[in-house]
Amino acid sequence: MLKTISRLASVSAIGLLAAVGAALPTSAHAQSLPVWDDYTFEGQIAVMQQLNKEFEAAHPGVTITRTARTFDDMKLTLKLAVSAGNGPVVTKVNQGAGDMGAMVKEGLLLPVDPYISQYGWDKRQSDSVLARDRWSDSGQFGEGKTYGISGLGEMVGLFYNKKLLDQAGVPVPKSFDEFVAGLDTLKAKGIPPFMMGTAKQHLALHMIAAISQAHIDASQRKTLDDLIYGRGGTWKTEGNVESAKLVQHWAKDGYFFPGYQGIGGDDAVQLYISGQGAYLISGTWYFGDMQHNPDIHFMPIPAPKGISKPMLVGGVDLAWAITSQAKDKASQDLAGAYIDYMVSEKAAAEWAAAGYFPATPLPADANVKLTPLLAEGIAMWKTINANDALGHYPDWASPTLLKTIDDNSPHLLAGDQTPEAFVDALDADYQAYLKSKK
Amino acid sequence: MHRTKLDGPVRGNLVYVLPGLIVYAAFVFIPILSAIGLSFADWNGLARPIWVGLDNYAKLFADERFYVALRNNAVLMLFYCLVPLSVGLILAAAVWNLKQREQLALRTFFFMPYIMPTAVLGIIWAWLYNPAFGPIDQVLRAIGLGQFALPWLGDFTFVLPAVGIVASWYFFGFCMVIFLTGMQRIDPAMFDAARIDGAGPAQVFAKITAPLLIPEIRVVLLLTVIASIKSFDLIFTMTRGGPANATLVPNIYMYQLGFDLSRFGYAAAVAIVGAVLIFIVNYAIHRFVRAADEGAGA
Repeated sequence: MLKTISRLASVSAIGLLAAVGAALPTSAHAQSLPVWDDYTFEGQIAVMQQLNKEFEAAHPGVTITRTARTFDDMKLTLKLAVSAGNGPVVTKVNQGAGDMGAMVKEGLLLPVDPYISQYGWDKRQSDSVLARDRWSDSGQFGEGKTYGISGLGEMVGLFYNKKLLDQAGVPVPKSFDEFVAGLDTLKAKGIPPFMMGTAKQHLALHMIAAISQAHIDASQRKTLDDLIYGRGGTWKTEGNVESAKLVQHWAKDGYFFPGYQGIGGDDAVQLYISGQGAYLISGTWYFGDMQHNPDIHFMPIPAPKGISKPMLVGGVDLAWAITSQAKDKASQDLAGAYIDYMVSEKAAAEWAAAGYFPATPLPADANVKLTPLLAEGIAMWKTINANDALGHYPDWASPTLLKTIDDNSPHLLAGDQTPEAFVDALDADYQAYLKSKK
Repeated sequence: MHRTKLDGPVRGNLVYVLPGLIVYAAFVFIPILSAIGLSFADWNGLARPIWVGLDNYAKLFADERFYVALRNNAVLMLFYCLVPLSVGLILAAAVWNLKQREQLALRTFFFMPYIMPTAVLGIIWAWLYNPAFGPIDQVLRAIGLGQFALPWLGDFTFVLPAVGIVASWYFFGFCMVIFLTGMQRIDPAMFDAARIDGAGPAQVFAKITAPLLIPEIRVVLLLTVIASIKSFDLIFTMTRGGPANATLVPNIYMYQLGFDLSRFGYAAAVAIVGAVLIFIVNYAIHRFVRAADEGAGA
């Protein structure tokens, strides 16, 4: 018996050695590229698998080991994994102080500036878009070296149901006043003017921010940029108070879908798609769902009087970045090449074909059949970028601002907090953050 | 007489305890010690932790949100402990006199919620409460009680009871089964004697059943109090602590501080205070919930 075991062991050992010997020449050339992304929806996974396959085909010997994580999961694990030394080489990372800022500070991300000039990413995406991935050595957001670039664009605008507007005899609004006047007509006809859901997600935040930023002309954007990038400023502006007042009026006086306080944002979107509200203010990430109702269209918040180029809340999805796991020049270059492919015109065409909204413009000769909604979004993205009018998510301004908005907006909508007190709460959070940076 | 090695002196057998001890140390004891250490530090999860002494605790006891969380938890305790205990006790007394097959059927029926994971129950109940398509509001509207069709999980007044009722529904069957088990241990002659003496069902319950079930009541209280202080999944899936902290409890607050805001030291302080609270409340239950003849000071 023992003899048999020892013979088996010898045979196995020889076999193992032979296998290692055979594998060695290959492994000397093969390169593995661990990538983490946040594309977890079915349609997104299909696009990523296709793009990765194409990249591998163009780079023989490179194997991409892809890990897909949800936004929340990514937030929880990325920083710890990279700091522990076993995370991805290329990753998606959330912009702002909490994630990208913290990782830059600890030296866990590498600047991508060499690849911006090598591949000309600054010709594909505007400077104000790339600024969202910049962090200076002193920890200043929005300036200094660039640490990432995004594949998909995001805009928060006005979804409108043309069929319901026609039914109420309300025209598609051309000005802010016309938009506000139309709400009364809709309400009088028994059609909920706004679909809303505040129990989960952030539709209330999108509405308040969209109305507020639409009142800022792109030529005056510096104040908003300074505020968001933590250079200073105040939330206590007349525009913010007026916007909060307007949204409070809509909430209190029956302009929102009944029971909105107990409905989550995603559920509200589904109700909107089923035709139960005239307007919904949210972002392009809902295009995939919204396209199922052909009556739904997308437009910017109409310009208020005296504003020629209104700012539009938006930005880009999580940025592709290179982590400190790329130890040598060869792996950094490979990571740079991978990101270049992810933000290429070719990738943009594949995202658009799947119904998603690319940050890189589509090539002129792209033979992509766009859904009407996506075509509207892409045209808007072009105008907004030409006008340099892409605004910001307010919660990027401080790491705790999202929590502060979540804590206060239900009270604002319920009418037990004044618009002034709401704006004061945001400003108190922001000023405390500025103080903590010093 | 030593029959096996295991009958030998304890010292010689300590080695057999090692595997379990290592697992316990790795997954329970060391994390607890780490959390205690972390609660004295400022740590964002990346940089080296900075020792801040009792600073986190000082901030915590001056933190208004923490007191909101404690107050919410105290209200939830009624729904996690007192409601299921009372309902379970009454149902156990009622079911006890039924025939065995009927008793088994009802016991199984009432125990069923307890076999479900609470996170799943949270998702299901959030759907039941939905004001647009949830059946609760739809039924209320259908029977002409539309004015009571509320946005339950978005209403500052009703959201905490709405979440609490789910916890009561989850626990009452479990309480009932524990009490039924306890009743099997009571000598049937006592019930017969009471009846012969002319006691009605209410008197039998108050004078015999309830006092003799004190050990079971204590167990139920211990378990449900622990469950209420460590409540997380039900609230996370139903409201995430909202609207505007109306359902915030210490564990949700700890999660937000640690994983949303990267304030791991402060979050650890919340966890430690939560653990200390569990110890204090459970000690109080141990000490004061006793049968009359056991004596409170024993």
